[in-house]
Amino acid sequence: MPERIIVSIGTRKGLFVAEAPKGRGKFTLRGPFGSGVAVYTTLIDTRGTPRLYASSCNSFFGMKLLRSTDLGKTFKETRSTPAFPKEDGRALANIWSLEAGSGKRDLWCGVEPASLFRSDDGGDSWQMVSGISNHDHARKWQPGAGGLCLHTILRDGDRVHLGISTGGHYLSEDGGVTFAASNTGIGAGFVPDPYPEFGQCVHKIVGHRDAPGRLYLQNHGGWSDRPGIGVLRSDDHGHTWRSIAKGLPSDFGFPIAVHPHDPDTVYVLPLEPQTRTCPGGMPAVWRSDDGGDSWRRLSHGMPRRESFFTVQRDAMDIDELKSPALYFGTTTGQLWIGRDGGEDWSCLFDSLPPIHNVKVAVV
Amino acid sequence: MLRECCDGASELSLAAPSVRAALGELEQRYPSLYRSVCYENGAVRRHVSLFVNVDHIRDRQGLDTPLRPGDVVTILPAVSGG
Repeated sequence: MPERIIVSIGTRKGLFVAEAPKGRGKFTLRGPFGSGVAVYTTLIDTRGTPRLYASSCNSFFGMKLLRSTDLGKTFKETRSTPAFPKEDGRALANIWSLEAGSGKRDLWCGVEPASLFRSDDGGDSWQMVSGISNHDHARKWQPGAGGLCLHTILRDGDRVHLGISTGGHYLSEDGGVTFAASNTGIGAGFVPDPYPEFGQCVHKIVGHRDAPGRLYLQNHGGWSDRPGIGVLRSDDHGHTWRSIAKGLPSDFGFPIAVHPHDPDTVYVLPLEPQTRTCPGGMPAVWRSDDGGDSWRRLSHGMPRRESFFTVQRDAMDIDELKSPALYFGTTTGQLWIGRDGGEDWSCLFDSLPPIHNVKVAVV
Repeated sequence: MLRECCDGASELSLAAPSVRAALGELEQRYPSLYRSVCYENGAVRRHVSLFVNVDHIRDRQGLDTPLRPGDVVTILPAVSGG
């Protein structure tokens, strides 16, 4: 079967799946699946037979995980979802992240209240990861506007990076058994100490397989008295961080993405910090080709005025074709594609429900 | 939505002396249905209402509301949302 582009789109009203030939010509849309129920995370697991997973977060009847083995044509509920031990007292409030683990059927799942779960059978059973879920700091973490969520899971061999809002960046170097706060250089604008040990409102973290130790982080920036803390880079596996926000119109934003074939090329989508919408009503993705030393505005094809949408933390992704395309979904229900590395933008779908999550894979 | 969790059934017959025991029975027989009604700590979900005949369990004895043969326990989503 020829390669295709699959885009999973988690929305406030269910999951949609878009598909196109590898040339990214016409995209067709399927869904909604889990109709009427919010989807905050999806995973296109390309190990072996591709599987598509989606959280289905029903405010009435709780959390479910949906799984598809036919590239998003049909979905079935997994046998179980992450759940806290009965004696723990906490209750699952949302499912925020799903990532593939090292084993063929291993999955990792980040939830609200901020905790981590693992599955070794493709999502049919789950075990809580005590090293972070019962961390000494856990009782001191505070919920951000989206809730107290563990939203980023980034694996690099035995290293596991977690992003918690608001908890900060936590790093395991023993395969996910124990975790330590690792926030040197990550600022916070909402507490007296500008650089606390933990408690930062990290929005997203990305890495690159060809640049071990290199990480980029979108933090909660936008503080006039603490400028530049919003977009950061690490070159030592997340032990220390430094600002790369100079040149951006705002260091506030949610998503961050890195080029699949060039670890020096990184993308952010700056937002106005008070309204969390496009600065001046003029949306743009900004790209750095030199690891954050300089930035260039990419907006060809996007509206030039009167566009005040928000792009949430997991609503931007990039495919892995030779000349990759970016995809982002808006809170106003538009799915945009930026072909040629973001040089040329067009709207694929204009009237979806508010979009929480966009993931793309070539299968 | 809940019927999908119990093979499409709209009614189930249970033998239980209380609402809590009935939910325990559901947990064994239809775990997905139980998870849709209760949090993992055993509390009834915030937006789910349980009635025994016509009485909301909060107006009786909560989960310890006793059940007698013939009683009907109804599970309904609370009227909320937007």
